[in-house]
Amino acid sequence: MQQHKTCVAMLLAGGQGSRLGILTRHVAKPAVPYGGKYRIIDFPLSNCTNSGIDTVGVLTQYKPMELNSYIGSGAPWDLDKSDGGVFVLPPYSKGEEGEWYKGTANAIYQNLAFIEQFNPKYVLILSGDHIYKCDYAEMLAYHIKKEAALTVAVRPVPWEDASRFGLMNTDSEGRITEFEEKPKHPKSNNASMGVYVFTWDKLRQYLSEDERDPKSQNDFGKNIIPTMLAKGEHLVAWSFGGYWKDVGTIESLWDANMDLLLDSPPINLHDRKWRIYARNVGEPPHFASPGGVIKNSLVTEGCEIYGKVVHSVLSADVKVAPEAQVIDAVIMPHAQIGRGAIVRRAIVAEGAVIGENARIGEEEGDIAVVGSKTVVAPGHVLKAGEQLGD
Amino acid sequence: MKQDIVGMIYTGERVDELQELTRYRATAALPMLGRYRLIDFTLANMIHSGVKNIGIIMQKNYHSLMDHLGSGREWNLHGKRSGLTILPPYMSRENVGVYEGLLDALHTNSNFMRRSTERNIVVSDSNVLYQVDFRDMMAQHLENKADLTLLYTKDRNVRRNARGRYLELSGDLVTKIELDPTIPHFENTYVGAFIARRELLIDMIDRAVASGQHHFSREMIAQMVQERIYRIGAFECPGRVWMVDSVESYYQANMDFLNDDLRAQVFRDDKPIWTKLRDEMPARYAGDSLVTNTLVADGCLIEGTVENSILFRGVVVRPGAVIRNSIIMQDAVISRNAEVENCILDKQTTLRDNVRLIAPRSYPLVVAKNLTI
Repeated sequence: MQQHKTCVAMLLAGGQGSRLGILTRHVAKPAVPYGGKYRIIDFPLSNCTNSGIDTVGVLTQYKPMELNSYIGSGAPWDLDKSDGGVFVLPPYSKGEEGEWYKGTANAIYQNLAFIEQFNPKYVLILSGDHIYKCDYAEMLAYHIKKEAALTVAVRPVPWEDASRFGLMNTDSEGRITEFEEKPKHPKSNNASMGVYVFTWDKLRQYLSEDERDPKSQNDFGKNIIPTMLAKGEHLVAWSFGGYWKDVGTIESLWDANMDLLLDSPPINLHDRKWRIYARNVGEPPHFASPGGVIKNSLVTEGCEIYGKVVHSVLSADVKVAPEAQVIDAVIMPHAQIGRGAIVRRAIVAEGAVIGENARIGEEEGDIAVVGSKTVVAPGHVLKAGEQLGD
Repeated sequence: MKQDIVGMIYTGERVDELQELTRYRATAALPMLGRYRLIDFTLANMIHSGVKNIGIIMQKNYHSLMDHLGSGREWNLHGKRSGLTILPPYMSRENVGVYEGLLDALHTNSNFMRRSTERNIVVSDSNVLYQVDFRDMMAQHLENKADLTLLYTKDRNVRRNARGRYLELSGDLVTKIELDPTIPHFENTYVGAFIARRELLIDMIDRAVASGQHHFSREMIAQMVQERIYRIGAFECPGRVWMVDSVESYYQANMDFLNDDLRAQVFRDDKPIWTKLRDEMPARYAGDSLVTNTLVADGCLIEGTVENSILFRGVVVRPGAVIRNSIIMQDAVISRNAEVENCILDKQTTLRDNVRLIAPRSYPLVVAKNLTI
């Protein structure tokens, strides 16, 4: 039986995210925890579900184990369908050939057969690097209305930062006239979000041509979009106005967590109409003990708080011992903060154990990081900006 | 490991003493400890004992229970080799769909038992919270060469109520059973769960029903113990047991879990208690929140003061509001400067600004679902 899907999503989740330092030494970036009970990949996956897209290919390459088991059958995102659902797509060997994903475009190229089996009209390309809520259905409707070959999601960035982004210069109709990658003198502040809707025939055509060009870096931004522009294809920009946060660095990941503690958080995770789904850990409610203090924080089920937690984000099953202090910090699942320890302006990764009276981070300066499952000796001092872990 | 035990859970208990709490829901569906329902603990017992096939006998107001259980996915009971079977009441020539007691219910649903292939069966009530490994119970049952083994406890906390069933034991065998005594003579309280060989149980039930009995422990077991035709064994339930059969015992069972040791006993990493999921963000503490000795589920927003309480998912506590010694169920809203003490607020209740609702410690007040005060 030939299936037919209007739109299939392809989520690029293979990047290492090396700027996240020890946080991505053992897991791929999309599997990094965020906001207490989520992982970065929950956002694009939940956006797909909320946008009515029920077929998603997740392209993995770097340290895929944790991501694979996290995604599982896709049930947490309602993506366990018999006529679609979520598929993890690692690179695979093809007879004589077979190779790693060389670039974003090559990753999709290597999975053309996967897309083909759903016989879609459109393909949505996503990345697993950002925290945002986006209705892809709106973007798709725009793409259809404009009869475009490619629609690029863009968002306005401050002019002074614009030269750090790939910019889409458009005419008054929203048609992309020029694409500039990190220009010195920006002509627009419409930055590409790395979210694309392609008409399937065009995607297949340009990916195949790109693959035949030995000089190509097989990248959407560097190669595919410029080539399509040069060939006079109809490319349009679709403006996204909502919260969109890069979490590609230690600083920005910490920052994005702190955004949730603002009086009115810029992203509403409590939205009943646009839930962000996540794999639940099945812990009891968290316990705020008689001696504990919790102020201005997010605390997830399974936590036991005997010490002081101020302006911090705590993931599931975090234990904070008596006399310990957690201030301006992000604590990932199953971490333990020992008696008398002080954790300040820091990220403590999954399962880390902070020994008694240890000092992690400082009141000022860069974010200190303790890697996953790292055991920090009692009394150890980790200065601002330092990373500890293997 | 594969176990040769099929499970059944009876949810037909009628407990008037739970007042409004069970007017629209089965006792099994009572919200517990911030995110669970009472039946989750019985299900966990069975699943952690390797029981993979579980029938749930429904009786009254079972909508909320059906909604909770769904396909059984959250309990991993939705596979080909395992499963959750909902057994709703039905009318037939022999019955009108209303069970007089457990015996009636088992008899009406004996098809489920006949259709099962496991050698043994475990049956549990649902208005009780306990933790046991039925494999240990099974081992003793076999060693004892018992025909049927009852689960009992010596936990004195469950002896409050006058509707108990108490056992006199000789070794691991039941020698006498005492029903509803004013003052119990025996220290062993029947917990409401038993195991037996499946085919033997079907046979026992057929005979008992044929002789006009309706109640399992009160009639069938009582007679068996008296006539000594069958060997009725008894297995002691380790740890604490909570009978949830009145507003007071419901309140106390929840409050007991503010104790660190009890929580550690019941919530073990190797034996998770599963429940229906609700995708909620973590609980958020904002403003001048002050929270001590409280269990807080995900999705809560706390801007006020909470002491010695249990907050279910999605509860909102506005600035200036004070909650003491209370159980606040899902999505309830305590508005600005409102005060609640010694209360049980059912789901989606709202206390408006400045409302004070203070009950005596000895008699917790129940506020029915959806009420706005």
